[in-house]
Amino acid sequence: MSFLGFGKAAPSSAEKIAAVENELKVVAEMHSRMVKICTAKCLDVTYREGELSKGEGVCLDRCAAKFFEAHQKISDQLQKETQARGGGFMS
Amino acid sequence: MPCLQRADTSAARLTPAESRELDQRLQKRQVKEFMNVFGNLVDNCFSACVDDFTSKALSGRENGCIARCVVKSMSTQTRLGERFGELNAAMTAEMQRR
Repeated sequence: MSFLGFGKAAPSSAEKIAAVENELKVVAEMHSRMVKICTAKCLDVTYREGELSKGEGVCLDRCAAKFFEAHQKISDQLQKETQARGGGFMS
Repeated sequence: MPCLQRADTSAARLTPAESRELDQRLQKRQVKEFMNVFGNLVDNCFSACVDDFTSKALSGRENGCIARCVVKSMSTQTRLGERFGELNAAMTAEMQRR
């Protein structure tokens, strides 16, 4: 999703670089949050073993998939709700 | 943590000079990201493993727990990194299709 160049002059160097960097920042943050949450949900907190058990591994895979699905659904719903409420949800 | 690569998802077209500037920034970000992962690791493993304050030295049990925690956490990072890459690519493709 890029908002560059909508009816105004071509974006400056700084703007272009910032846009790409920002996009990656968003992705990296999402990754970091997912790791934190799925670790908490799936791993044995007593750390009795140093290796991921099969169950834990599968849990992590599923957690990641569900995380993305929830992300998408929430994004869609938030957009709908925001529009329904006349464009602002902070009021 | 995913290597901060530039997938061609951005509409921006960069000159070589801009590209270099971006790469420099990404490198800095990579370092910051690593420190973040490290911090989370310490917080997580300490919280999970250390709960005996009758001594100021880590006990054998706590040391073992921490070591296992580190290994497990790194395996987790790797696995989730792979899943994330796959899912993110799929999501990006889906968004572009819409």
